[in-house]
Parts: sequence; structure tokens; C-alpha cells
Amino acid sequence: MEKFKIQTEKLNAWFGNNHVLKDLSINIKENEATAIIGPSGCGKSTFIRCLNRMHELVPGAKSSGVVLLDNANVYARGIDPVTVRRRVGMVFQKPNPFPTMSVYDNVAAGLKLNGIRDHQKLDRAVKRSLELAFLWDEVKTQLDKSGTSLSGGQQQRLCIARALAVEPEVILMDEPCSALDPIATAKIEELIASLKDQYTVVIVTHNMQQAARVSDSTAFLYLGQLIEYGETTQLFENPTEELTERYLTGKFG
Amino acid sequence: MDIGLERLRNMVLDMADLSENTVSTSIDAYVQGKDLRERIYGWSEQLRMLQDEVSELAVELIARYQPVASDLRFIKSCMEVAYGFSRFGRYAHDISDVFGIFGDLSKCDKTTIEQAGDQAKNMIRVSIKAFTERNVELAGNLKKMDDVVDNTYLDFVRKSASNPLGDLKCTVSGTLILRYLERIADHATYVGESVLYIVSGERTARR
Amino acid sequence: MLPLASILIEVVGKGLPAISLSFLTKSTGNITDPSSGIGNAIEGTLILIGVTCLIAVPVGSFAGIYLAEFGDNKFGRTIRFLNDVLAEFPSIVIGILAFSVVVIAIGHFSAIAGAVALSIIMLPIVTRTTEESIKLVPSSIRDASMALGIRRWRTSLSIVLVTAKDGVITGIMLSIARISGETAPLLMTVLGSGFYFSGLDQPIDALPLRIYSDYKNSNYPSALAQGWGAALILIVLVLSLNLGVRLLTRGRSSFARARA
Repeated sequence: MEKFKIQTEKLNAWFGNNHVLKDLSINIKENEATAIIGPSGCGKSTFIRCLNRMHELVPGAKSSGVVLLDNANVYARGIDPVTVRRRVGMVFQKPNPFPTMSVYDNVAAGLKLNGIRDHQKLDRAVKRSLELAFLWDEVKTQLDKSGTSLSGGQQQRLCIARALAVEPEVILMDEPCSALDPIATAKIEELIASLKDQYTVVIVTHNMQQAARVSDSTAFLYLGQLIEYGETTQLFENPTEELTERYLTGKFG
Repeated sequence: MDIGLERLRNMVLDMADLSENTVSTSIDAYVQGKDLRERIYGWSEQLRMLQDEVSELAVELIARYQPVASDLRFIKSCMEVAYGFSRFGRYAHDISDVFGIFGDLSKCDKTTIEQAGDQAKNMIRVSIKAFTERNVELAGNLKKMDDVVDNTYLDFVRKSASNPLGDLKCTVSGTLILRYLERIADHATYVGESVLYIVSGERTARR
Repeated sequence: MLPLASILIEVVGKGLPAISLSFLTKSTGNITDPSSGIGNAIEGTLILIGVTCLIAVPVGSFAGIYLAEFGDNKFGRTIRFLNDVLAEFPSIVIGILAFSVVVIAIGHFSAIAGAVALSIIMLPIVTRTTEESIKLVPSSIRDASMALGIRRWRTSLSIVLVTAKDGVITGIMLSIARISGETAPLLMTVLGSGFYFSGLDQPIDALPLRIYSDYKNSNYPSALAQGWGAALILIVLVLSLNLGVRLLTRGRSSFARARA
């Protein structure tokens, strides 16, 4: 019986008066990669930003509903959003390493700025995270080079390493490969496959083939609603909903 | 990709017509005792080449466009159905071979075989229609029709087995032809199953 | 271009002959003494700049950070407006303000009064440039930091401010260049003197003041020469600050990298 790492119940979200997510109830399985697909503007990014309480940082943004992380509601009264964000990490569409910091400092940033000073601990954490992100071999001799001097694909892996360093349980990825070339993309997809063992991955992508390659389960969103959610091979070979069928065969979006 | 899918469909339909023709001609040739081997062999060969072309186009479409859902199921089914039609050609070829092996068979009672032959021809027609129209109901009928052919074949064999004094030539040639017709009927049902798969994604267990 | 060139030629021409090591290091003392120098004026300018920065930089940068990060409300808009008004205040009025508050309180002209006046002039510039620099940091950097579970204030200081530091420093340097030439407020607050620094509560000399008093005594040839020399030094100071800014913003600008 698989465990659900994250469960949402009737999750709603607004930007001002714009109702962007409508009664979403999705269960994300632990140690799996779940893809969120759908046409532009359907609320995919908003959805994952609700999972780590980043949505509320936007002025005028509101949300309601329940998001359970290991069966505990992250929106419960008294929960500090910062602790949620340490357990649920995020990687963004455009690689965004901290420009004034070296590779080492970038990866260690999450730890250093939360008070960890022990050099050995930091060294170990940096090495481990870079190894997990398939970047260690490429940068081990250049740890003090500026984070922005790496190539696009390397920068994105650096951001992944940075997110991994704080030892989250879930990793959210918002179209992580859309700014990268095919080879860099392939490396990241390989990386996702290896991360599944220890983490739960949720990846938003507008590339259906990528979702098919990388994920175990897929959710199809349209105009803020969950249309279909199921095992990836099943959904891509024989979708249940007409709308999903039309989207997958390119009839819209 | 839609153009590719249309092309694929047309190729399969061409094969459908040709295979129907080929099988009909071979059965009629047997019943009427005519030697049309050259023609049948030629058509069977053509069907085989068409099947290769269908395969190649299907693979190209998959590699290029990475289709999913009903598009993918359609392409997969086209490959299976094309194979079925090429088998029709092969069996038609085998049926005409009988003339070459046994020579003159005008003394034999060909009524059972003729009936089975009509049923088989019918099944081919129905399966083609089901594919063209993506008609799941028609596809469903094929199962029952297949049972008829199966039974005809088994009856003939049993009767021949319990009557050792019949004309050996007629018995053996009849058995062979019924066997081929039975296989043709089976493949026609497979075409029906492919139609079901395209429309609903269901897969039927092979018996 | 032409006016700038003509000024430079004039100042360099008239001022260069006056420059010598003793000129730069000796204090003024008696104005008629031909061996008097502007050492105390240079020292005074530097001290005034130092104390002013001590006051204006922390206040201004924190105000700038506040406005950039949290200033989208009514309170923020009010502060921003007041800040802009203060920036446009005539400097002589600020001098009067400092006079009536600090000079009266202490009882006589003093360096601290001058620093207060100059910091009131410097503050709005630093606030504005700090706010602008921080606003230019892409929100993706902030997002990345918040997503790591770093607290808001920590993000603002250690990530955003550090990324914006080139812009902030530029703003500070430009405002220093501005205040080093301010004369009017100094007239009412520090008075000027012929001697070296003797305490924050005492009058102090500064380059602009030296130039002015030399102008007043310009019938003395040594005073005239001294005035030109002082003007030259002042211009050198301002130009080198501007040049420094130019060099800082070229090349390894973290700004440009952040926005790439």
C-alpha cells in the first residue's frame, strides 16, 4: 500500500479576484515522480507554489483548503511557513543561482543562512548535494568559482544541489528544463530518476513527452481544475477523460 | 502528423481491398477448379510489400511525433491489422497451392468448404468495414462468425477421421483448405479486436 | 563638454602651480602667510564626510531596504514622498535648520553641526538609490532564497542587499561627491578655521569654505593661489569618486550577472 506524501483537499487559490485553482484534491505518492501537465495558464505553477507556501508571498494572493504533508496540514494555524519550505524544496524554471556567491557558497547558502557554521558539516553537505545533483565531478576543482560562470544546464543542477542541501523530503520542479538544451535536459531527467529513491518529486511541465518519460503518475489540469489523474502509462496510452484525450493528441493548448 | 496518419490509414485500406480480393479469388478458383496461381502469388507478394511499408511509416510517425493516446493506439493497430491482411494474402497463396499439389479435384464434394469459404469472405468484409468505420459492434460480431468456421473445420476433420474409406485426395485437400480458412477467420477476429483497442483502449486476451 | 573642458583648463592652469607637498599638508594659519597650506581643509573635508556617512549611510540604507521590501503600503508611500521632498530642499535652508538646532544647542559653530546638515542632504539620496538598487534585484533571487526556507529579513540582508551592493555603494559614493562640494550649509554650521581638527564640537575647515574665504581675501595673491589650489583638489576629489563609481560598475558587476 503506497503512502501518500502530500494530499490536497479542496485546494483553492486566488490572485486577487482571479480564481485560479478550483477545489483541487490530488494525492502525491511518496518516492515517486508525479508530473503536472496542462495548457498554459491552467494553474500548474500556482498549484505547486501552494504546496510549499510560496503562493502566499505574492501580494494579493489567497488560498483555502487543506494541504497535508505526511498527514499534517501545512496551512494549519501556528505552522511556520519557513519550516514547510525547508521540508519542501523548489527548483525554478530559469536557473537562479545567487550571483554574488561561489558554487560552494550557493549550495551551502540554505544551511549557512540558517545558522549552521560547522565547516566540516558544510563541506560534507556540499559534496553530498553536488553528487546527488550529478554535478560534483564537473565542479569539484572549481568550488570557489562564481555560481553564474557555469553553463545553463550546470546552473540548474547547481540550483537542484542547493535545494537538496537543506535535506528536504519533497522536491518541486517548475518546468526545470524549459530553458535548457536537449542534452542538459536529458541530464536533469536522469537526475530526477535517481532522486526518486530518497525524495518525492513533483514536476510541472508543458512538455508531454517529458512527463511521459520521467513520471510515474500524471495529473492533467485545465483551467484550474483536476481533469484526470492516474498512472502515467495508463494516462498516456488510454486516457479516461475526453478532454485529456484531446489535449494529448494536440487538439488544443 | 495528421497527414501521416491519413496516409497510414489509406495504405491499410488499400491492403484491405487487395486482401479481400485475393482471398475471394483463391477460394473461387478452388471451388471452380481454375488455376489462377500466378495471379494469387503476385497479389500475395504485393500484400507483403505493403505490410513492410505500413510498418516503416508507423515507426517513422512514432519516432518523429511521439504520439500518445488514441493516435498511438491507432498506429499500433495499423501495424497489427496490416500484418493480418498480409496473412490473408499468405493463406490465399496456400489455398491456390492445393491445386498445384493435388491437381484435378473436380470429383470432390466441395459444399462444406464452399460454405466455410463464404463465411470467411464475409468475415473479411465485416472486419474491413469495422476498421473503416471504427465500429465496435461490427467488430463484436466477428467472434460468433469465427466460431462457425471453427466448428465447420472441426466437424469435417472428425467426419473424415471416422470414415477411412473416403477419397484421400479430397479429404486431405479439403482439410488443408478448411485449415487455411480457419486461420483467415481467426485473423479477421484479430482485426476486430484491434478496432476495439483503437476505440476504447481495451485489450482482449488471445485464446 | 565645452564648459566642463574650459572649467578644467582654468582650474588646472591656475591651481597646479600652487600644489606642493607643503601646500597639501600645512594648515592655513594666517591667511597672509605665503607658506600657508590647505592641509586642514583637506582634513576637515574628510572628517566631515566620515561623520556624515556614519549618520546617513546606516539610516539611509535601512530606509531604502524597508521601502523596497515592505514599502508598498500607505506608510511607505508617505515616507517615499517625504524623502523626495527632502531631496529637493535648498541646502541653505538645511544649513539654517542645523544652525538653529545644533549650533544654538552647543553654543558655537562645530564640526558636528556641519555633519548633521550634510547628513540631512545625503540621507534622501542614499535612501533613494538603495531602494532603486534593491528593486532591481530580480524577484527570482528572492524566490530562490525564500524557497530554501530562509527567513524574510535574512533574505533581504544576506541575499538581496548583497546582490544589490554595487548599486548601493555607487549611490553612496555619488552622494559623497555631492556633499563634498556643499558650501552653504557649512557656512552656517562649521564656520571654517585656520587650524587642524580640534574636536567635533569645534569649528572645522573644509575645502569649499577655504575656497570661499580665499575668494573673500582674494586681494592677497597667496590667498588667490591657495583658492585655486583648493578648487583643484576639490575637483580631483569629486572626479576620482565618479571615476571610482564608473570602474566599480563596469566588469564584474553582480548586477549584470543577476539580470542575465
